[in-house]
Amino acid sequence: MSKEYAILPCNGLDKCAGCTARELAIKLAEETESEIICPVFYRVADARYNKLANEKPLLVIDGCASRCASRLAAEKGLKIAKKINISEEAKNAGIVLKTDSLRLGETEKLLVENLADALVTEANAAEQTQEADFFPKQLSYDVYQKDKFIFRIPKEAAFFFNENDVWVYVSGGKARIGVTDYVQQSLSDIMFFTAPNVGSELSQFDEVGSLESGKAVFEIVSPVSGTITKVNEDLLNEPERINQNPYEQGWIAEIELEDFEEDKELLYDFNGYFPIMKRKVDEFHV
Amino acid sequence: MSAETFMGVPREKIDWSPRIDYSKCNDCMECVKFCPHNVYEVKEEGEQRLVVKNPSNCVVFCRACGKACGVDAISFPDKSGTTANIKKIRKGMEANE
Repeated sequence: MSKEYAILPCNGLDKCAGCTARELAIKLAEETESEIICPVFYRVADARYNKLANEKPLLVIDGCASRCASRLAAEKGLKIAKKINISEEAKNAGIVLKTDSLRLGETEKLLVENLADALVTEANAAEQTQEADFFPKQLSYDVYQKDKFIFRIPKEAAFFFNENDVWVYVSGGKARIGVTDYVQQSLSDIMFFTAPNVGSELSQFDEVGSLESGKAVFEIVSPVSGTITKVNEDLLNEPERINQNPYEQGWIAEIELEDFEEDKELLYDFNGYFPIMKRKVDEFHV
Repeated sequence: MSAETFMGVPREKIDWSPRIDYSKCNDCMECVKFCPHNVYEVKEEGEQRLVVKNPSNCVVFCRACGKACGVDAISFPDKSGTTANIKKIRKGMEANE
């Protein structure tokens, strides 16, 4: 799991609920990329944790109704992303926490286990939904083959193409772009990728980076207008990913769209682009 | 051989091809070596040896040969004007259908 929290737990060692909160924090830090803020140290010297608390979403784990961890977060002006209260969770699970010992028993350990699992699963699901919402995990292709060369085109309706052989996948106001198989096959082994700048604004048909092989330089012509929000940085070291699959691991950049309805006027869908690509392939190989 | 249409518009109706500033061009011919579409021709003699022989072969919106030019002698038409013109021609074609 790559979800990271800054965890601010109660670790009130005078109650079993506090000890359980502390245990849950340790377990989450072990199983995820999260980091723990020590509430005692934070109270007296916040410089140590201010950066962490502002960089990662804050998970507050309170032990009991005193909600010391929540109050500390409020006192420090922190924005809480998620909150858990051990005593409430125990109650919901029908568990009575120990009152005669600060050591965690089997019941408390099981509660920690279940809460940690639920948090990890929840974070993973949120992450996957976000990814899946924007770009499909798997694509289905139609293929045109000429000699030993295979040219794939994704069939999903959210793909559009310009006549400069650049695709765009559109989802809401976001888009991902890349080149088609025609480009990577014609260039052959791509050796260099010049990336566009994140934050730069583009009009439709502006240059959005370039690709270079031993055979030629290809200027990537943007199919859409908008602002670059992300670049596939893997391509800087491994431009061959474009040759492997220019629609999946070889995507170029992500763009916050400006006016896709306008851009769409000069784009093709799958049915429009497929015959154009076939014609280009046939002419290229003549 | 290049496409005869671009976005359904006859290619010759789209004004997109390199313009050469002969006051800057030093006849290095890097653009000719660069362009795989046979847009340029090199004349054996004369003042202006480099010529745009096949403007319709030029890939609409491609400006890559301009970057190969060390003395910045190559320019292209205004892109947004070209886009607007393509849209206008397409609208006219739709109306005639």
